[in-house]
Amino acid sequence: MVIKLSSRFFKQYTVKIEKRLEYSRKFAILTTITSILIAFGVAGIALSILGVDVVVAYTQVLTVFTKLPLLIEAIKYAIPIGLAALGLNIAFRMNFWNIGAEGQIYMGMFASTGIVLLHVYYGLIPEYLVLITMIVASFIAGGAWCTLPAILKAKMKVNEILTTLMMNYVAIYFIDFLIYGPWRDPKGYGFPLSVPFPSYAKLTILFGDSVYLGSILLLTMAMVVFLILKYSKLGFELRVIGESLETARYAGINFVKAITLGGFISGGIAGLGGLAIVSGIIGRLRPRASAGYGYTAIIVTLLSALNPWLIIPTSIFFGGLFVAGNMLQATLNIPGATIDMLQALIFLFLLFGELIKRYKLRIVVRGVSVEH
Amino acid sequence: MSIEWIEQVLQLTVQMGTVYLIASLGEIYAERSGVLNLGLEGIMIMGAAISFIFTVAYNHLIAILVAAVVGILMSLILAVMTVHLRLNQVIVGLALTLLGIGLSGVITSPGIREKILLTLNPNLPEKMLTIQQAEKLLEIPIPLLSQIPILGRALFNHNVLVYFSLITAFSMWFILFKTRAGLVIRSVGENPSMADTLGVNVFLVRYITVIISGLFASLAGAYFFIGFHPFWREGVTAGRGFIAIALVILATWNPLRAILGAYLFGGIETLQYRLQLLGLGAQSPYFLAMLPYIITIIALILISTESLRKKIGAPASLGIPYSREE
Repeated sequence: MVIKLSSRFFKQYTVKIEKRLEYSRKFAILTTITSILIAFGVAGIALSILGVDVVVAYTQVLTVFTKLPLLIEAIKYAIPIGLAALGLNIAFRMNFWNIGAEGQIYMGMFASTGIVLLHVYYGLIPEYLVLITMIVASFIAGGAWCTLPAILKAKMKVNEILTTLMMNYVAIYFIDFLIYGPWRDPKGYGFPLSVPFPSYAKLTILFGDSVYLGSILLLTMAMVVFLILKYSKLGFELRVIGESLETARYAGINFVKAITLGGFISGGIAGLGGLAIVSGIIGRLRPRASAGYGYTAIIVTLLSALNPWLIIPTSIFFGGLFVAGNMLQATLNIPGATIDMLQALIFLFLLFGELIKRYKLRIVVRGVSVEH
Repeated sequence: MSIEWIEQVLQLTVQMGTVYLIASLGEIYAERSGVLNLGLEGIMIMGAAISFIFTVAYNHLIAILVAAVVGILMSLILAVMTVHLRLNQVIVGLALTLLGIGLSGVITSPGIREKILLTLNPNLPEKMLTIQQAEKLLEIPIPLLSQIPILGRALFNHNVLVYFSLITAFSMWFILFKTRAGLVIRSVGENPSMADTLGVNVFLVRYITVIISGLFASLAGAYFFIGFHPFWREGVTAGRGFIAIALVILATWNPLRAILGAYLFGGIETLQYRLQLLGLGAQSPYFLAMLPYIITIIALILISTESLRKKIGAPASLGIPYSREE
């Protein structure tokens, strides 16, 4: 792309936008951090124009990351976000635009709660097997929720962006139906809540705090995703499919199978995020239990440049934003929506950052070129 | 179920459906030119928030005009980032939705809203600064026609934006399928490099259609608030922008079919509340609420077959940024 500046002063200059062929890791990290800082700056200006006390709000955000109890709280929220993001990592690698992590999270909650109810109401599963069954069930339920759009995309080229998005709402209303109907706790004074989970069905089971067991789950899944993408045949196939479906076809890759399996794993890991919410944060099922973590996970995945290890610190950062948002709302009379705005702006400036990574400006002055 | 009840349900169906109709009309144009505007929900909720604040501060007309401007500005962000900078439309759209939800929440939160209202209109009486509702647009019954039994009230007893949506749907259909401008838009969505070769300014066309989608999304939000449900709470549009995107698919990118689809979705939503009032199936509202999404998924599957795609004229380059280099 060539932009010619046509004013008299600029006559001898031409600004060219060229593709950057390679960039260093340092440059990439620097661009990302700068984007986040600019987002905070712009949000600060906008919010102070609107009359929000930005200093107080930002101090609160900082406090979350400097005080240990608050940081642990941030990690608690980071676990479902991070799990969903790890799932998305696999989907995005194969160029499968899974917007449905939110729905897959809800299906994970459905399955975990279902297992608890089978145990509590019918005494089916022995105590020591409850949590492990919940983990398997939430993986399968989340995975199944993503397998359908994956098959539809692989076999019939149905747009996965739209199907996964639509299925989010189906899942949310399905949970609404259950919790306002058959799954409502009969002793719950009519509140739309399930029975409280027994202690052995919670992620607090080993160390008394859900953060530890949840963190192990998150780290294990990061390892799994890393290994799948880096060393497995499936991971190789997914990356080829992500680069070009045509190439995959010529290379003889069974892409229907690969996309279906990739979709299942992607949704399954997001489903574990649902488990982390009901079993790690709330301790029972309630309607609208996920505050858009599945959408935040999309930002986290992209911000981490599809690197499973980077997802962990990034999701802690966003988990911290959620904690800060709750505290602002509760104690400082600053709207919690401030945090939504901040997230959105980080997202937008990050996209600009991507552009800077991909393209460079070259100013040509009478044949001499200056790069930026 | 008396005649009265049926009349009421039909009227509400049209009024509810109009939210989806207005929003989807703009989205149809954007998608026909190849741009998926997933920011619809964010723009819509900003339209609702702006119309709330400006109706309380001034009046309906100013509220609708300001909402329109805000919708255009928000869609310009999308246009610059996706059409010119060729960033991923899905991501930018979702970011825009998040931005709209956050910003609308901030400007309508009690303390901040009070300050904004006082800046806009210092003479506002105290109690107006804290109210959570706004004056509703008046219904204008069309003489004689609105007296027709059953259908009269459903079709001819509405506020001005409902009539506007119907007239616009017909004119937008005409422009899209019967004029040169419509042909240009459709060709840009079908094969942008071919259109470019023939001298069409692909970027300009996409800018215009994206702006149209933002304008209509914001109007839909304003209509939803001051024309249908003038009681504010955070996140008041509750995902209706996404239903409008679903409607575009169900309507197979055709403004006239969008009218029918909009009233179908409006009817489903009306029945959710009405059946519950009648005590018919306490569980039904949740499954009715799922229905628009399920219908859309089925529609997506049906139109994925190649022959049907061609027949409908689904925009082939939907979601793909256009660049002259490649």
